[in-house]
Amino acid sequence: MPDSKVLGHSYPRVDAADKVSGRSQYASDVYLPGMLMCKVLKSPKPHARILHIDTSRAQNLPGVRAVITGRDVPDARFGNGAVKDKRLFALDKVRYIGEPVAAVAAVDEITALEALDLIDMTYEDLPVVTDPIAALRPDAPLVHEDLPSYEGYKPTMRGNICTVLDADRGDVDTAFAQADHVFEDTFHSQGINQGYLEAMACVANVDPSGRINVWTSTQAPYQIRATLAEVIAQPMSRIRIIPMELGGGFGAKLRLCVEAYPVLLSLHTGKPVKLIATREETFTLSGFRLPTIVYLKTGVRSDGTIVAREAISIFDMGAHLGAGVQSGVSHTLGPYNIPNYRMRSYAVYTNKIWAGSYRASGVADVTFAVESHTDIIARRLGLDPWEFRKLNAFNEGDLALQGGTIPRNGLHETMDAVKQHLGWPRTAKAGTGVGLAMCQWRSGSGPSTASISLLEDGTVSLLTGSVDISGTDTVFAQIAAETLGVRMDDVVIARRDTDLAPFTGPSGGSRIIYSQGKAVQMAAADARDKLIALAAERLDVQPGMLTCANGRVFVTEAPERGYTLGQLVRMSLTSAAGPIMGTASLSAMPFAPIFSTQAAEVAVDQETGKVRVVRFVQAQDVGVAINPMAVEGQIDGGAVQGIGRAITEEVVIKDGKILNPSLTTYLMPMAADVPSIENILVQVPTDDGPFGARAVAEPPGFGPPAAIANAIEDAVGVRIKELPLSAEKILRALHGEPSASTELDHDLLQQLRGSNGPG
Amino acid sequence: MPHPLSLTINGEPYTLLVEPYCSLLDMLRDQLQLTGTKKGCDEGDCGACTVLMNGKTVTSCMVLALDARDQEIITVEGLRQGNTLHPVQAAFVQYGGVQCGFCTPGLIMSGVGLLLENPQPTEEEVRFAIGGNLCRCTGYSKVVQAILKAAETMQAQAS
Repeated sequence: MPDSKVLGHSYPRVDAADKVSGRSQYASDVYLPGMLMCKVLKSPKPHARILHIDTSRAQNLPGVRAVITGRDVPDARFGNGAVKDKRLFALDKVRYIGEPVAAVAAVDEITALEALDLIDMTYEDLPVVTDPIAALRPDAPLVHEDLPSYEGYKPTMRGNICTVLDADRGDVDTAFAQADHVFEDTFHSQGINQGYLEAMACVANVDPSGRINVWTSTQAPYQIRATLAEVIAQPMSRIRIIPMELGGGFGAKLRLCVEAYPVLLSLHTGKPVKLIATREETFTLSGFRLPTIVYLKTGVRSDGTIVAREAISIFDMGAHLGAGVQSGVSHTLGPYNIPNYRMRSYAVYTNKIWAGSYRASGVADVTFAVESHTDIIARRLGLDPWEFRKLNAFNEGDLALQGGTIPRNGLHETMDAVKQHLGWPRTAKAGTGVGLAMCQWRSGSGPSTASISLLEDGTVSLLTGSVDISGTDTVFAQIAAETLGVRMDDVVIARRDTDLAPFTGPSGGSRIIYSQGKAVQMAAADARDKLIALAAERLDVQPGMLTCANGRVFVTEAPERGYTLGQLVRMSLTSAAGPIMGTASLSAMPFAPIFSTQAAEVAVDQETGKVRVVRFVQAQDVGVAINPMAVEGQIDGGAVQGIGRAITEEVVIKDGKILNPSLTTYLMPMAADVPSIENILVQVPTDDGPFGARAVAEPPGFGPPAAIANAIEDAVGVRIKELPLSAEKILRALHGEPSASTELDHDLLQQLRGSNGPG
Repeated sequence: MPHPLSLTINGEPYTLLVEPYCSLLDMLRDQLQLTGTKKGCDEGDCGACTVLMNGKTVTSCMVLALDARDQEIITVEGLRQGNTLHPVQAAFVQYGGVQCGFCTPGLIMSGVGLLLENPQPTEEEVRFAIGGNLCRCTGYSKVVQAILKAAETMQAQAS
């Protein structure tokens, strides 16, 4: 019999052969007969009133089939976050450079581009605010004057402040007064593009019957179906989202992005319409991360115990509220047990493109602050940075920020593993240094469903609505195979779209294996129980006497008595209960943290200030590695994204204009820039994840900026508190030149400490 | 005005009409629907559109289709022999060099191009050879490993 133990084996991805053959279909690979091409006209102004739009010249251009503006679409606002502050097209005024104002469908891309030039826009400039600190001032220009009239408005939103979050515990001020040492630092992060290789792409085709088919590159088919229905004022049942192979998203494709434009133009023209974003438009048409400012104040006893933390963070949201601000109150403690804290987190509107999501939005920014600050404290107190972290790190049973207590986890094991692997404390040679950082996240939760059909030959078809962004289909097949006792090859993952597959949450936030994988396990168990029940009836034994393994259901004590799964499935077709199907549905999973410890070894060129990461080591508690190769792949990729964030990546924005919307000037790591990542998988199972698995993908990207900043100080004695850790900043620091002040104004801090904010 | 163009793609002769401004990439994708070759940036930075032209890797977005006249082009679709993957393709599958897959065809073509010139590369040479191919998912570790393993396989097959 085949070995059906499929857990813990590094099976190749189920989609790998198609992908290496160039046969996987991405949205841009969809070509339909008579297809028109769509282009979007974007605002060239950061803040301006729209006085007049004249599309007549564009409409008269031969080959143009439709031109639409905000006047031609349903009057609807939608949102990326809690408040509906966005429209498909700017109506009365534009709020950032890049805001869509019109869209064109033409016979080809060149004609569509030419038509954009023929749309006459008349603007009247308005005062611009691009700095979030300036946007907090009472006299700052307002990005949304009508904010109180928006759906989702809350009284804490005032001026340009669109979110205020707070969290408090204990008596922070007394704890600071009684602490032996108090440390304060302020950190700044930079604008970061998600860097997915496949730009946004979508083909829409409205059938004569009114069915709206949308082939798109998305992480969240059901969520964009809902938003699309709202903005085009059509029932959800009319919309069919077909998620194509996803060429990277990392959060950027979690929400409705470009899909509405080809959909509206297909509704207007009755033809299929395709939109493929340019690389520049991955900066100007879809939100990325904007800079974050994090102020940290920490009270410490002489023995190194942290007793109090104050954290105030300001998230630049650009023109529309998005993700990230939550990380300012959920991650500013770090993975440390701190009894007294005060945390305030503000999201602020500015005249920039809206802040999108990227791999646990905001947490990398906050982790840079927390883990740099942790190292600064250890060094100033003369404590070993590893020992100082170890002393304060969470233990099982400590109070969790999320409520309840910290469940069993492998945090300390990850610390020990890195210490042993590196031979810490490590004395590096001149010009090189080693730095640590700790990362934390939670295994993602949210609505999840799965459906399993057993086929007449005993093979298995698994249907979920989840888009595979990280090898999850392969792991689903392993979970199903293990649960049903069949071979990996016997499980096929069904192609899905929103008509076929049941509703599920988006693919993001390290949610899929922990939550969606649980639903797969439950659906497979449901099918297995039905197989066993049928076999028990036919064999006239109690179900508890049967085992489902090796492609059969058999009497445990007499394995020759039993049926193959194929026999059972064929019997089921005429049985009272009918064909064998397993289904599962769940809404939330218990809190299961993920912790990791990372270490970077860097070499700093003291002539140029250039940093090179020589080694990067990380130990992460993954619960159970169902597919170790897939797990390592996720962790490798996250770490290298983090190295880019640390050293070279920065979206440079001046007066609201993005100066480097290109891969020539936005510098992501290439193969020659990074070492092979050294991974250690710590496996402390969860109680609730499938077979004990935890989520994996988010934490690896959090630690590199701090680990590398800490390594730079270890190497050459300079401390950089502003990302990226560029050669220029390091060289200036090496020459003793003062860097631009990163500190927040005292009065502003005092105002931000209150829960009402400034103004 | 479209111009006539004859060239060989994956061993097959083609004659077509192309606009003078049309890139080799757009011709492959839009006219021939050889969509395995990907457009990641259209400005020569990402390497997703890498193909072989007379055995040398080029970014096909930076080559005008008309400049490929009478040339031999190999795209990712041309690597498989029947149902057998090229050793570089097979190694990407086996060693986890594939994640989202969008950069994969370009990386594979760069790997194939490297091994044509240098059948026994070092890790450093592999990293240099794929230095024009951006990948955001894998962190490159498993990609580099896959190309090194493919080199071993091809050496073993050759001997």
